[in-house]
Amino acid sequence: MSDDIIAMLKENVIQGRMTGEDEGVDDTVTGPGVVELTQRAIDEHIPPQDIITGGLTAGMEIVGEKFNAGEYYVPDMLASAEAVSEAMDILKPLLAGTDVKPKGTFAIATVKGDIHDIGKNIVSILVKGAGYEVVDLGIDVPTDKIVDYVREHKPAFLGLSALLTTTMLVMGEVVTALNAAGLREQVKIFVGGAAVSKEYAEAIGADAYCSDGFEAVRILESMSVV
Amino acid sequence: MIIIGEKINASIPSVRDAIGRRDESFLADLAGKQDTAGADYIDVNAGEGGEGAATMRWLVDVVRSATNKPLCLDSDDPSVLRAGLEVYRGDRVMINSVNAEPDRLKMVGSLAARNDACVIALVMDEGGIPRTVEERVRAADVIVKALADHGIAEERIFFDPLVLPVSVDSIQAGVTLKTIEALQKRYPAAGTVMGLSNISYGLPARGIVNRAFLLMAAAAGLDAAILNPLDKRLMTLVATADLLTGRDSRCKRFIRSYRRGELVQ
Repeated sequence: MSDDIIAMLKENVIQGRMTGEDEGVDDTVTGPGVVELTQRAIDEHIPPQDIITGGLTAGMEIVGEKFNAGEYYVPDMLASAEAVSEAMDILKPLLAGTDVKPKGTFAIATVKGDIHDIGKNIVSILVKGAGYEVVDLGIDVPTDKIVDYVREHKPAFLGLSALLTTTMLVMGEVVTALNAAGLREQVKIFVGGAAVSKEYAEAIGADAYCSDGFEAVRILESMSVV
Repeated sequence: MIIIGEKINASIPSVRDAIGRRDESFLADLAGKQDTAGADYIDVNAGEGGEGAATMRWLVDVVRSATNKPLCLDSDDPSVLRAGLEVYRGDRVMINSVNAEPDRLKMVGSLAARNDACVIALVMDEGGIPRTVEERVRAADVIVKALADHGIAEERIFFDPLVLPVSVDSIQAGVTLKTIEALQKRYPAAGTVMGLSNISYGLPARGIVNRAFLLMAAAAGLDAAILNPLDKRLMTLVATADLLTGRDSRCKRFIRSYRRGELVQ
């Protein structure tokens, strides 16, 4: 029975059905959605960790594959990620009492001078869906504000977004400022956005370049294993 | 509808390369082709960075050598705009763009006043893109007031109602269309202008989404569009939109386009 619920949960993540009222990617799927199934799994005393790995994460992995293969589009991916994010909010209080370690905080900002938020928001929702605590610092965030945040809250990860070739340069300034403040070693820096390249990420000394939100999650997971 | 040809933009890789190697014939050809295809203005974006001003000066000269159409000088950097305006000679130029940020309004407003330019104004401020019609109209109020202080009349303002992808938020096409209507009602003398392609980001079959949106925006009262005039399908829809919104007296331009074999059916 519990296997059935987990399998249904995974399928509904793939379908992007947050609740039973939502239409899925395929118009044939009906019944309870991710939120109802998560609650049902909790009621049946399935460990939260199993709900996450067997249902939510396993489903999102397939969504990522389909997106990368060009089979899924941005709206499909967002529907799934938002469903998972909603389920994580239900599960989070239950994780506190277990030996499951929190995955760490991922702070994210669009850098000073850049007001583009769509890419940042997509990455936020995918990272949150993967079980990380996400703190969105907003758009057009001054470098000193980012440095202050890292100093005070010590996030494990910092994501920087920029769409423009001009504002991309600010990412380098953020890395330099964190170095100057002696904070560089305590945080892993992820950069991404339309103008950014792997070469640029390496040149400014970022820890990772992410071509999209799924890659951000993949790299986060690989770092967390270590 | 006023067509602003978007092709000479340094964010397009082939154009960025041509600018990098100072390839005059490539860029002049691209300007001439857009002119022939029916562009009313040629957008000129020279890219950013330290060389921006010098590149803009050079690019304006190159484009002007190929077309008499007025230019739409495109940069986030007022000093790059200024450089382009200094060398520009021709019909009333357009500046792309300003928004409701006080500093930008001041700098771009004084440039536009001195050069008797039209201005594209994004209805947003330093807080980013407002999600509602009301907030966008409030940004327009700020813009109109500040530009009036520079002696720039509403007639010289083209508001960009802002286009966000429907793939990320499915109500956004409606917000854009309602913003066009609201701005027209409030500032009937001003124009509206937008780029098309953002609407279809993240979707398959983007071309049809862009074309349908162009028609809907035309119905809402859009006056101008920044688009690729070399796209014959899209230009067919522009001609059809003009026909169906009372902008083509006795359907003359539509029929002329048909006779020339320009309409893609």
